Amino acid sequence: MKKKPTIFSRISKWDLAIILTTLIILSASTAANFYQKQPAIEISSSLISESSKVDYSKAGYSKADSSTAKLPINSQQLLELLQQNNIQALQAATEVGKVVFTLSSEEQQNQAVQLLQKNSGKQFSIKKSAIDTRPTWLQKLSLEPIKLGLDLNGGILLIYQVDSGYALKQKLITIQQLMKKHLRENRIHGIKSEVVQQGLLQLKTNSHSKLKETASWLLNNFNDLRIVEEKPRQMLLAFADDYQSHFHRQIMAQSSTLLRERIEKLGITESVVQRQGANKIRIELPGLKDKTEAERMIGTTATLDFYQLAEHGEKLNLPDGQNLYIDPIPIFTGKNISDAQSGRDELGIPSVNLLLDEIGGDKMLSFSSQNIGVPMVTVFSEYYKNANGETKKESRVINVATIQQALSSRFSITNLDSPTAAQALAESIRAGSLSAPITQVKHQTISATLGQSNITNGFKALALGFAVTLIFMGFWYKRLGLIANLSLFVNLVCLIGLLSILPGTVLTLPGIAGLVLTVGMAVDTNVLIFERIKLESQKARNSFHAIEAGYNNAFKTIFDANITTLITAIILYSIGFGPIKGFATTLCLGILTSMFSGIFVSRVLTRAFYRHIKITRTN
Amino acid sequence: MNLSTINLQTLKTPLSRYMANTLALTFIFLACVGLFSKGLNLGIDFRGGYITEFTSSQSISKTKMESLVIPLIDSEFYLTSDSNYQYWTIRQPPNIAETDPLVWLEKLNQQLITDGRNLHLELMDADFIDSQIGSELLEQGGLALLSALIAILVYLTARFEWRFALGSIVALMHDVLVVLGILAWTQIEVDLTTLASLLAILGYSLNDSIVICDRIRELMKINFHQSLENIINLSIKSTLARTFITSGTTLFTITSIWIFAGQSLQGFAITLFCGIALGTFSSICITAIIPELTRLQPDYFYKQEQIEKETI
Repeated sequence: MKKKPTIFSRISKWDLAIILTTLIILSASTAANFYQKQPAIEISSSLISESSKVDYSKAGYSKADSSTAKLPINSQQLLELLQQNNIQALQAATEVGKVVFTLSSEEQQNQAVQLLQKNSGKQFSIKKSAIDTRPTWLQKLSLEPIKLGLDLNGGILLIYQVDSGYALKQKLITIQQLMKKHLRENRIHGIKSEVVQQGLLQLKTNSHSKLKETASWLLNNFNDLRIVEEKPRQMLLAFADDYQSHFHRQIMAQSSTLLRERIEKLGITESVVQRQGANKIRIELPGLKDKTEAERMIGTTATLDFYQLAEHGEKLNLPDGQNLYIDPIPIFTGKNISDAQSGRDELGIPSVNLLLDEIGGDKMLSFSSQNIGVPMVTVFSEYYKNANGETKKESRVINVATIQQALSSRFSITNLDSPTAAQALAESIRAGSLSAPITQVKHQTISATLGQSNITNGFKALALGFAVTLIFMGFWYKRLGLIANLSLFVNLVCLIGLLSILPGTVLTLPGIAGLVLTVGMAVDTNVLIFERIKLESQKARNSFHAIEAGYNNAFKTIFDANITTLITAIILYSIGFGPIKGFATTLCLGILTSMFSGIFVSRVLTRAFYRHIKITRTN
Repeated sequence: MNLSTINLQTLKTPLSRYMANTLALTFIFLACVGLFSKGLNLGIDFRGGYITEFTSSQSISKTKMESLVIPLIDSEFYLTSDSNYQYWTIRQPPNIAETDPLVWLEKLNQQLITDGRNLHLELMDADFIDSQIGSELLEQGGLALLSALIAILVYLTARFEWRFALGSIVALMHDVLVVLGILAWTQIEVDLTTLASLLAILGYSLNDSIVICDRIRELMKINFHQSLENIINLSIKSTLARTFITSGTTLFTITSIWIFAGQSLQGFAITLFCGIALGTFSSICITAIIPELTRLQPDYFYKQEQIEKETI
């Protein structure tokens, strides 16, 4: 009883306060990991009258009302059905017309959903969900368990490369077409132009003056063009460098946003869409099993554009073998389409009903009111990569229709081949059009089983490493070893707590390996200090001074040693993605927590209990 | 038992030091031979291609599995398994017509059922990477290693005297080179996690070097009248316990990763293990030798301190 006042009088209250606050926050964060979300399914019965069809061809929307009648659900029957198929489910909540069952694993969740959909189908709508098992105090603090990476969760990884160079070249081609139009209208002949591979516009002529004239027209009308090379009869133009990088950034941002929207439409929560490197987009879809559906939805590169005919212009082939020439500038593009629904026109022929946004509506109105009786061409294009890896655009004329009246934001494309074609077209349009072609450069499907076994194995390794380190330190350093072990425990709690609390940190399998490594290296700090203490005690100081001197003198060495590992960990963090990034994160954070617990925490502990420590003097 | 007294007497005689140096040089030579003759076995992360991993509910022989799989895959492929013959890996080159592993595994499973065989296959991981992005990643990885080396060199030169920095860097390059040599001789697959472990080795291998250098510097300030060789011996002696304990615990934790963490981290664990073991060896034998070889004067730091004291 007498000892208590002396222990606390030796350590500064401030030190103690820091340690306790950090510990409390981070151990609460670590505790959140014990309350994982439980897989569940929501079964609700509702009668909705036939799927609401939006009729665009007539003025104003008409939407069928959804009925509010809900039938009660026989949950007992459903539970028995699940039981018969070896699915253990527990009833968690009931409302009128809605039942929630909890299941023991995600696999059972999937099986349950499949089973119930097969058996009950139209009667219910079945939705996967998850139940938050955290106690209220954790929820209030918004502390959640660690986010798991794809290699621990199972799921699908897709990496797309965005070809903004292609889009830039297309822009240049458009400018070239406009230039040709201008030259024709002003009867300037003799200028040959070509867009060459690297995104350069090449002008060749016999008359130097005409060249100059054309060039200045181009520079005046398109501010971002620059002359790259100038010879008497030849000129090369390109977009300015800063415009190119601005354009590239814009394309990357647009593509990321679009892909993110597409994924949200797939209904996948917890997906990750990240820019990777200069021109790639990384998409992680945890929990998904089959990538074909996801790929189809995400990777469509279809665009729908509307053109007017022109005497000289871009050539398109019609399916019946004829040729068309269209004005290269579209009346409006797929970007201006807000919504597209498949349906039928008055004669029952499959059609797609379009709704344009304000800009599109204006453009359509001004064009159609001035061009009644003029045909409008609907062109469907898709990007693909040919055998040489070059991006090519394949365009197909869907429709050539004469404009009968002034149209604005709502109209239909009719005369499609079949209802399925109409649906597919509507879906492609709704997916939105990409501004630049994307190609898939990597995909990976990781099964949930593998993910689960990775988690188990990873933590087995951690447990073993931790246990053996504890035993060794306790044995070798005896009482000081106990302090080392305590600080190691604090280290681990802080590390897991930090990983849970910091946004954007994800645990991966190499990340767990990093945890194990940190445990192994964390003792280094303590060992350095303890060996130092032994050394200092040779100088015939009393044990307290030996301890203090030990901590002080070892600090610089510890700092140096840890900084170098930190440097490599940071470099790894900056170039790595996915699993490697997880490893780098655990390494970086591990170094910080090791220093905190190895120096700060164990110092406080040693000071508090120094009387109980015997230091064996080495000769 | 006192570690310091037993080993060091024998360890640091000129003969043993000579032997250690020769050993280090032999390692480097063997590594270079391995790298040039066999080359590194780059995994699909760097080369591009397809990897499909699946498990079989029972162990069957490799030839049997091949016969089952051949009719369903019409490109060239390379089948391997783990020691239990239950975890299988199929590797295919990048430029083939893509067939979805889910699809052909399902077909195979159906076939096995109709054949009445009690064997079920489950897909674990299906990975594809384009060859172009693979070579990009390799470039990036090489750059990362290089920039890490440079960053470390800069930091060391700032913190220590240039001879120490040189010693540490030479030891570091020896470690990386020999580890790469080991990877070449054993033809272990080099993928992104292996690269990560190489970078981690850079950091950890340096730990030992820094601890020894710090000690040498400290002793030089006090024992400046002794010969450099003696000072170095003394430093190594006094840090030996720490070096062995830390390396020991770290190596043990890596071993536990090796044992438990499964296929994907095998290369990672082996690389780290060799790297850290080598790091310890090189810190003692190379880092500590270079200052002596480059004629560092034993009273260098003492003199520096005196100069500093005078200028204050």
